[in-house]
Amino acid sequence: MIKLLAKLLRVLNSETEPGQISLGLCFAMIAGLTPLFSMHNVFVLLLVLMLRVNLAAFLMGLALCTGIAYLLDPLFHLLGLAVLTASSLESLWTVLYQSVWWRLEHFNNSIVMGSLVFSISLFLPVLLLLNLLIRRYRQHVLAWVQKTKIMQMFKASKLYATYQTLSAWRHV
Amino acid sequence: MGKWIRWWGLGAFVVVAAIFACVWIFFVDGWVKSQIEEAGTEAVGAKVELDAVELSLFPAGLMLTRLQVTDPKEPMTNAVEIAHITMGLDGLNLLRRKIIVEEMVLEGVRLSTPRATSGATREVSLQEEETGMFSIDLPSLEVPDVKKILEQEDLETIRLIETLKADLKREKDTWESRLKELPGKAQLAEYKKRVKNLKKATKGGLKGILGGVGEVQSLKQDIEREIESLKGVKKEFEDTVALLHTRLDQLQTAPQRDIQHLKAKYNVSPQGLANMSQTLLGGKIGSWVRQGAVWYERVKPFLEGAQALGGGQAGPEVHKPLRGKGVDVHFKEANPLPDFLIRKATVSVNLDLGDLAGTVHNITNDQPTLGHPTTFAFSGEQLNGVKSVSLEGALNHVIPTKAKDEASFRAQGYELTNLVLSKDDKWPVALTSGLGDMTMIVGLKGQALTANGKGHLRNLHLSAGKEGDTNPLTKALSSAVTDISQLSLQADVKGTLEQPDVTLSSDLDRILQKAAGKMVNELAAKFGAELQTAISAKIAKPMQQLKKNLSGFDGIAGDLTERATQHNDILKGLLEKNLPIKGLKSLPGGFKLPF
Repeated sequence: MIKLLAKLLRVLNSETEPGQISLGLCFAMIAGLTPLFSMHNVFVLLLVLMLRVNLAAFLMGLALCTGIAYLLDPLFHLLGLAVLTASSLESLWTVLYQSVWWRLEHFNNSIVMGSLVFSISLFLPVLLLLNLLIRRYRQHVLAWVQKTKIMQMFKASKLYATYQTLSAWRHV
Repeated sequence: MGKWIRWWGLGAFVVVAAIFACVWIFFVDGWVKSQIEEAGTEAVGAKVELDAVELSLFPAGLMLTRLQVTDPKEPMTNAVEIAHITMGLDGLNLLRRKIIVEEMVLEGVRLSTPRATSGATREVSLQEEETGMFSIDLPSLEVPDVKKILEQEDLETIRLIETLKADLKREKDTWESRLKELPGKAQLAEYKKRVKNLKKATKGGLKGILGGVGEVQSLKQDIEREIESLKGVKKEFEDTVALLHTRLDQLQTAPQRDIQHLKAKYNVSPQGLANMSQTLLGGKIGSWVRQGAVWYERVKPFLEGAQALGGGQAGPEVHKPLRGKGVDVHFKEANPLPDFLIRKATVSVNLDLGDLAGTVHNITNDQPTLGHPTTFAFSGEQLNGVKSVSLEGALNHVIPTKAKDEASFRAQGYELTNLVLSKDDKWPVALTSGLGDMTMIVGLKGQALTANGKGHLRNLHLSAGKEGDTNPLTKALSSAVTDISQLSLQADVKGTLEQPDVTLSSDLDRILQKAAGKMVNELAAKFGAELQTAISAKIAKPMQQLKKNLSGFDGIAGDLTERATQHNDILKGLLEKNLPIKGLKSLPGGFKLPF
């Protein structure tokens, strides 16, 4: 847990582009909230590896979102069922149902569909919001936080030592 | 562009994918093997084991080696053992989660093979010894002791006599008490008194006459009402008496029913001989029907599998939810196929009597989607003990509500050896050797089972009876049976799979009737006559008593008739003769009487 927090601090305080961090977290949201062994997650993995996305942010986000997904399963089921049984979309699903690749994607499962609709819908808003928050953090909060007494105490703590160790590794 | 693309990431993706593929290829055979064994064990209720599984991807196919399916009732025996199963899979449909086998070849299919270890997955309940569908029921050849029988038996005739006797007494008491409530002498005296008073009133001038007219009218109505009441009661009484007479008449035929019942109970009737085919051969045929039913019951859940899941194809269809797994919504397919289908299975069965070869088409758990029934055809020639044998049929569940299964079986030159037809101590019968040509056509429409079988047995050698048998009946029967060299047999099965009703007929019935029918008929007639005499003697006195009791009702009838007559007499005689009714009809001033 301490290492995870240290990693988060390291990423936030690093020179990494905010877009790379937020994109990693947003891809993690798709991969984590939807069933892990799904066809679309192979594509997500390809994008995560090929695009210059922050991998640490992706892995952290994946761990977090996978845990949350179990709590949100009932919501995903209801959402997915509503989408799959909507009469206006029936013809679309019927067409996709004929395709081997879409069947392999298992799109007709309520949780796959519900979690995919949920995470894709939130992808852009979360991306923009995280971008904004990271920038604001770096502009206003980071300098102020480092001057606070709590941060001073924190710097003297074991956690900060860990962070320093990791930073040192990074620059090796 | 370079800022956002990480080219080594593509290499990493390829490496990760290759690792996954290698792991899958390495472990998939074991995974498929365990899946088949687990699913099979669950379905059969006993161990299903495989020696090896080999999955090929290009082209998609599966090869199973030594499949053993344990017989759940005998864990040390395999119900089926198959040396090799090779199947070609439709790879594209496999990606759609549909197992479509274009062709399957089953080689070295053997039934009832021994197992090295027990295949039980749960405790096997002790198998009940199969009781025969029919038990031998030879007619008795000794006249039972009639006196003793009548002492022990609860005769219908005696029961009816006792009931009627009690009813007669109750009815008599009822009617005697009702007579007391009905108008009698006291009422008649009252009417006479009222008439007398009226006569006096008519002599008292116009006022007396006018007052008397009303009283006459009232009296007349009262008497008429009483007469009507008496008539109704008399009718009711006559009906009661008629019913009692009918019951007494019915009692006359009760002894005959008792005699028939006792003849059947003590087996002194030729009925047993008329049904000897059923007695001797029904057990075997019943056992075959039960075996067939057991196999069919095993196949039936598979045939109806998709119906249980509601596998139609019209519109989106939601399957049962699983927690954490969601539900699958199914949509109409352009070319619908069942989730499981074997289009053609070529089977080679190694039986003790030789090899049978056959094909099965369209094995699926979802015939409504496929639109075709499962058909099968097996045959074998020049086998050990059979010249030729064939089995073909169709299991049609395309329209589940109109399920229709048919099968026909033919065997030519079937060698029959050492078949025990009757284990009865009194009269054991065995078929030592013979040849049989048989045809059986079975149909099952919904729950209604029909089967018709014909058999011609020839070159028969039968043994019957025991050495030193002194019973003339069994001796006669044994002599007739051992002389039989050929038989024609007709079997009809109706009812349901759970309760099949097997009817058998053959030349055997006629032969045995001829051999021993006369003997049994004479015995039955003698027994019947003795019973008739004894029962008649036993019921003579109670019957006389009943008749006497019934004649006691004549007094009540006479009393009712007399009361009605007396009321009529008063009405007619006294009113018309003693009162000046005619004079009253034309009163002074033009007044008219209302009667």
